[in-house]
Amino acid sequence: METRPKIVLFQCQWCLFSEPDQHWVDHELPPSIHLVKLPCTGRINPLHILNAIQGGTDGIMISGCRPEKCHYKEGNLSALRQHDEFLNFLDYIGYEKERVRFAWLDLQDRGRIQRELADFEMAVAKLGKAKILATRAHAPIGGEHV
Amino acid sequence: MTYILKKKKINQVLKGWFKNYDVYAPQKVEDYSQFFRLTSADDLVLNEPHNTRFPPKALFLPQSESLLKYDRKINQLKEAIPTPKPRIIFGIRPCDAYAVTLLDTVFNTEEYSDPYWKTRRDATIIIGLGCSEPCQTCFCTTTGQGPFNPEGLDALMTELEDSYSIETFTEKGEKLFSDLLLASESQQRKAQEIQKKAVESMTPAFDTTNLKHNLDQIFDSDYWATISESCLGCGVCTFLCPTCFCFDIVDEVQRNERVRNWDTCMFRIYSQEASGHNPRPTRKERTRQRIMHKYSYWIDHIGEIGCTGCGRCVRFCPVGLDIRAMLRAANTFESETINA
Amino acid sequence: MSEIKGKLKSEIERLLREDIVDVVIAFRKEDSPLRPQPAFFRNTDELTNLEYNSLCQNNLANYLTRFPHDTRIGIVVRGCENRSVNALIVEKQHQRENLFLIGIPCHGIVDIKKIIKKTGEEVTEYSENQDEITVLVKGQKVTFPRKELLHDSCLRCVHPNPVDADVLLGDPLPEGDPSIARQAVKKIEAMDRDERYAWFQHETERCIRCYACREACPMCYCTECFVDHAAPRWVESDVSQGGMQAWHIIRAFHQTGRCTSCGACERACPMDIKLTYLTEKLNDDIREVYQFEAGMDRETQPPFASFNLDDKKRFVI
Repeated sequence: METRPKIVLFQCQWCLFSEPDQHWVDHELPPSIHLVKLPCTGRINPLHILNAIQGGTDGIMISGCRPEKCHYKEGNLSALRQHDEFLNFLDYIGYEKERVRFAWLDLQDRGRIQRELADFEMAVAKLGKAKILATRAHAPIGGEHV
Repeated sequence: MTYILKKKKINQVLKGWFKNYDVYAPQKVEDYSQFFRLTSADDLVLNEPHNTRFPPKALFLPQSESLLKYDRKINQLKEAIPTPKPRIIFGIRPCDAYAVTLLDTVFNTEEYSDPYWKTRRDATIIIGLGCSEPCQTCFCTTTGQGPFNPEGLDALMTELEDSYSIETFTEKGEKLFSDLLLASESQQRKAQEIQKKAVESMTPAFDTTNLKHNLDQIFDSDYWATISESCLGCGVCTFLCPTCFCFDIVDEVQRNERVRNWDTCMFRIYSQEASGHNPRPTRKERTRQRIMHKYSYWIDHIGEIGCTGCGRCVRFCPVGLDIRAMLRAANTFESETINA
Repeated sequence: MSEIKGKLKSEIERLLREDIVDVVIAFRKEDSPLRPQPAFFRNTDELTNLEYNSLCQNNLANYLTRFPHDTRIGIVVRGCENRSVNALIVEKQHQRENLFLIGIPCHGIVDIKKIIKKTGEEVTEYSENQDEITVLVKGQKVTFPRKELLHDSCLRCVHPNPVDADVLLGDPLPEGDPSIARQAVKKIEAMDRDERYAWFQHETERCIRCYACREACPMCYCTECFVDHAAPRWVESDVSQGGMQAWHIIRAFHQTGRCTSCGACERACPMDIKLTYLTEKLNDDIREVYQFEAGMDRETQPPFASFNLDDKKRFVI
């Protein structure tokens, strides 16, 4: 791909324990990566993921805390099952589930978010531009029903 | 004038029209037919025993259309009024064509004209196909029209053995068919026989003489609670209805666009007000609204029933509600309670 | 069939006469023999219109959420309907103590669209027995084997017997083979990625956002549906590709672990969209991963309503 793949990063606000890492995400994220910061990955709803996909993103990365380490105790577990099944469902209708990746970060991780993103970007670049579901098209002028 | 169009010549005539017009006609989709723009004369489907599932009102009032687009970065707004090529609607049923004239009283009057409707309306020639064998669910004669009603049509086709007899009513219609052979006396008589037989095959579905009065009388009664109980409150009857025209205007902010969509009085949020109050809070009020609008309020507005008897609401209601039965019951409801 | 109807009538009469319930939800005859309607019986003299046959195509559990919890309701339930009732009870949408379930083991619902495809719409009479369906069309009698006309969901049915009825009218039927429930899913999974998306596109582009599927489904009872959210507007409101795809994806997804494969959504759809091919995939995954089927009892929470630290074994990198 000539241009870098578009990626949306859903980041749990607690998962980056090192100041330099958080600073990098807040200020030095490449322009092809769009940041959505959340109080917990448990807040993410399949609707948000679908919205990002329809907006034309090529890949979605969700970074959160490891299951036992959630700031809100079980927040990240409550949505895990939904996300897992949602990705299976999207795969069923033709959307590659490799385009969505979860990164569970740990207290001691330093520089991991940058590595994960770089790795993910390469993987998404290999998959190519997302061809389907990126359908925020304008309504028809003049009358055809779809 | 009445002309004859041999069935095997239809493709030729259509190809001639393609040069100067967009032609919209019923085409097959899965197990049913719907009006789409014809790209090949082979896609034409005229032999379905009933009208299209999805109403051709969509050709004048699309289910979703762009009203305007805006660009927030440069603070610019662009209206999206369509400029359609001249077009022909071919094979529409008289119930659907009459419905378009009813909708004209909403969108295309002296005092108010909807530009999105008007440009399409002015650019269209409407050729109807009459119904030689009306369905059980049709009741166009009850609402005051009929299977070969000419209102709203520029020309009307009657199916004969291997041809169609085409009666033109307007200059627009005349222009399209004047190259064809005129129908002979016997062909015209045959067409008239078929038309007469079709009208006679239909029995009145409900009595319209005092219908409006009866409905108005029972407005506050518990008649509506009983008939609306099984109603799901979906939008099938309203979206498939050729005369329903309610719409909602929405700003699709993620697309920088303002869109007009069909809306339905059967949804709770249709009448939901920003204050939180809903003047039609339960199913009963909403089902009542639909029936009152079609058979009483339309008469208040323009003196005509707002239903053309096309039968789609009867055929596709998921719970089998039949508006004809509901109106028959409404006619007798008052007298029952008086006698009780 | 008429034997069942007779038993049903007596049972409903008993429930009303002995004041066991305030209302009984069942079906009634309508003018068209093909379209019995859901009906609400409150007096025994209304029962002359009672109907029960394989054309009774709506999931009656849908109506439970309309009544206040203290209404005592009798309701006719077949296999999938009983599970829907249980699923609603698990989600606290009604209370079992106030429900009287009249269970009828189900031979399957006949799909009127299949009849119409074969004979046209001018059907004036309908009769059936366990093996055959007979219709009168323009004076001609036509008979079909039942299997040819059953709705696709019923052809894949695994649980025809009500699991929790207070009274059972009719003999229990053999349970279906669980592997047949996968048929719809297998068909789609056999296609390659592009074909799958093309199929999904083809189905959803016919949608007219009438929401008949939503209204016919007993598990869709939200007072404000996600499509009605305006701020922020997650799903496009119009019949654009994006709007329709989002509607179908998310609606099916909201049924995960709650859908009982009744097929009412598909039967309600006026545009013949194969909705069950979406919901069945989710049902299948839930069966496989969590060994869970909606509504089999009144206690077990659906998988998405709970979580477990063991989950991490499947997810964590």
